[in-house]
Amino acid sequence: MTTRDIIRRSGRSLKSAKGRTILTALAIAVGTFALTLTLAASNGATAYVNKIINDNFDPSELIVTADPSIFGQANTSSPKEYDPSFGTGVSNSGATTQIKKITQADIDTIAKVDGVASVREDITVNARYMTREGQKKYVTTIASYNPAQKPDLLAGGLGADFNGAKLILPEGFLQSLGFSSAENAIGKSVIVSIPKNFSPDQLKAQLLAGSFAQTPEQLAKSIQDNADNVVFTVAAVSKKPATSRPGTELYIYTSLDEARALNDISTSGSTGFRKYNSIFVKVTNGNKPSNLDATAGRIRDLGFQVRTVKETQEFLTNIIGVLRGIVAGFGLIAIIASVFGIINTMYISVLQRTREIGLMKALGMRRRDIGRLFRFEAAWIGFLGGAIGSISAVVLGIALNPWITKQLNLSAGTKLLIFVPLQIFTLIAILMAISIMAGWLPSRKAAKLDPIEALRVE
Amino acid sequence: MIKVNDVSKTYGKGDNLFTALYKISLEVPEGSTVAIIGKSGSGKSTLMHIMSGLDHASSGEIVIGDKSLTEMKAKQIDAFRASEMSFIFQAFFVEANQSCFQNVMLPLEIAKSPRSQRKKRVEAALKAVGLEEKVDALASTLSGGQKQRLAIARAIVNRPKIIFADEPTGNLDSATGELVIDLLFELNKKLKCTLVVVTHDGELADKCAIRIEMKDGEIISASNSKTKKVVRRV
Repeated sequence: MTTRDIIRRSGRSLKSAKGRTILTALAIAVGTFALTLTLAASNGATAYVNKIINDNFDPSELIVTADPSIFGQANTSSPKEYDPSFGTGVSNSGATTQIKKITQADIDTIAKVDGVASVREDITVNARYMTREGQKKYVTTIASYNPAQKPDLLAGGLGADFNGAKLILPEGFLQSLGFSSAENAIGKSVIVSIPKNFSPDQLKAQLLAGSFAQTPEQLAKSIQDNADNVVFTVAAVSKKPATSRPGTELYIYTSLDEARALNDISTSGSTGFRKYNSIFVKVTNGNKPSNLDATAGRIRDLGFQVRTVKETQEFLTNIIGVLRGIVAGFGLIAIIASVFGIINTMYISVLQRTREIGLMKALGMRRRDIGRLFRFEAAWIGFLGGAIGSISAVVLGIALNPWITKQLNLSAGTKLLIFVPLQIFTLIAILMAISIMAGWLPSRKAAKLDPIEALRVE
Repeated sequence: MIKVNDVSKTYGKGDNLFTALYKISLEVPEGSTVAIIGKSGSGKSTLMHIMSGLDHASSGEIVIGDKSLTEMKAKQIDAFRASEMSFIFQAFFVEANQSCFQNVMLPLEIAKSPRSQRKKRVEAALKAVGLEEKVDALASTLSGGQKQRLAIARAIVNRPKIIFADEPTGNLDSATGELVIDLLFELNKKLKCTLVVVTHDGELADKCAIRIEMKDGEIISASNSKTKKVVRRV
C-alpha cells in the first residue's frame, strides 16, 4: 500500500469509530490546550518585557550601582562594613535597607573610564504635591526623563527644547488638575512643591528671631512645611503608559538638569545629598555588544555593580521561562497521561479489526504496511487532539485578550497571549510523533497477527 | 498450474506430534476448477492455506506456475499473493461500515495498482457481480448473497490467476448459494482463473473439474489421475 492509501484508510477507520476517537483525542486536547496557552502567554510576556525595556531604556547604556543588593545579588545575611556612602534604599527584594549609594566622586571616576560617553543619574524626587491655582493638591514623584524613553503622547512634543522647568504630565492628572483636554494642558503652568531641609541660613535666621520650634511636634511641622514651590510648564501629556515600569504610572518627567536641581533642593542638608541608587552610563558605540561588555568590565573592575539593559531583559525573560516551564510541565503530564489513552484505544482498535487485518494479510498486505496503518491511525488521533486543543486555545485566547488587558490595566491593543502559528504547527507535529510512538506496541501486535488465526474468528 | 509435491504439515513434537497433512501431492492445471471436500478436521483448510502461502508446509513443496512458494521469502509471498491470488470466505469478511467501492478497492491498494485505473477496475468488478447499483452503498446494507457477491467482486478486481474459496456458500441459503456458485463458475470461464474451492457442499463439488476428497490429512479419493494417493503406514 502506498503511504497515501494508508493515511486515507487509517482516517476512514477512525471515522467508523468516531466516539472512541474523539474521546481519546480530547485527552490529548487538554494537554495541547494548556501547552498552547502557555506558549502564547510566554510569547506575550516576553514581548511585553521587551517592549517595557525598549520603551524605558537605551540599549547602549549600562546600569551601574554601588550595592549588589539592587540587582538582588547581595549576601544580606552577613554584616556589611559602614562607610559614609550608605543611605536608605530599597533592595531588589523590596526590603528597605541601608544601601551603598553612588556618590558624585564615583560618578566622576566612572565618567573617566575608557569607553564611557556620558553618565546620567537616575533621579527620582518625591515632591510634596503638585497643584494648579484653584485645584486640589496631589502627591507626586518627579523623575528625570531619559531621551531613550518613548512615551505615547496625547499632546505636545518632546523636542530638543525639552529642558528647564518643563514636564510631561500623565493623562491621569488631566481631570484632577482641571484641564478639559490634553491639548488644553499644553503650555499651562503647574506648581510642584519640593520639600527641603533647613539651610544653615534659615536656621540662623529663625534662631535669631526666636521663632524656632519649641517642641518635637512643632519642629516636625516646620520641617513638613519647609518647601520650595517650583512652577513648571506642561510640555506634553503622556497617555497612560502601556509599558512603564509598574508603580511609575503617575511619575512626572522633567529634564535631567531640572531633576538635578530639584534633587539638590530636596536632599540639601541631608545625608542623601547627591547620592544615587543607580546611574546610567552611556557607552561609546554601545550598540556593539563587544563595546558594552568591555566597558562594563572596566567599571566592574572599579568595584561597581554593572548590568546591561540586555542582561536585565534576560533576567526578566528567565523568570518568564521558569514560569513557562512549570505550566508546560503540567501540560506535558496531561499529554503523557493521554499517551496511555492512545495505547488503550489502539489496542481496542486492533482487537476489533482482527478479521480485517487477517483479510488484508491474506490479500498480500505486508506486515510493515499493516503496522503503518495503525501507526498512522494513532497519528491521526494525535493530530485531531492537537488541532482541537490548539484551536480552542486560540479561540479562547483571542476572546480573552481584551479582558486580560483590561484586568491587568495594560493599554488598549496590548496582547498578553500571542499565538505563533509555527509554534502551534510544531506542537501538533510533536504530538503526532508522540502518538505514533504510543501506537507502536498495538501496531506491532497487528503486524504480527497470524492471518489464519485472525480469519478463523467467526 | 499449481503443483503440490509431498506436502506434510505437523504440529507439536514427540508424543504431542499431530499430523494435519500427510504427503499430499496434486496438480491443478491453469484455469481449472478444484473442489477439496472432506469433513471438518480433514485438513482441507490447512491444505488451502499452504497452497496460498498463508501457512508453511513442514515438508514438501508448492509450485505455482514456475515459482516455488517454498523458496520465497515472506515479503515475496505477500507480493505474489497480492498480484496472483485472492480469497472468498464463508463469513464474507466484507467491511460493513465501508462502501462497496472501498471494499473492492482494498486489493488494488494492497497491490499498489496504478491510481488512474482503480476506479474503472472497481466499477467493472462490481458490474461483473451485478452490484453496479451499489457502488456507494455501505456493505452493511447488503443482504448475505449480495455480501458474498461483493466479496467475489473484491476477489476478481485485481485479475488474479487463482481464486481460493473457503466454503463460499456456507452462510447462504440454497437458492442464493446456487446463484453465487453459478457466478463463480461463470467468472472462472470468463477470466480464465483457477478456482480452488474448499467445501462441504457436494453439489458445488460436483460442478468442479477436479474433485479431491480428504480425510485425516490424507487424500482418500481424487477424480484426476495425477493426484497421488499416499496412505500412511501405521
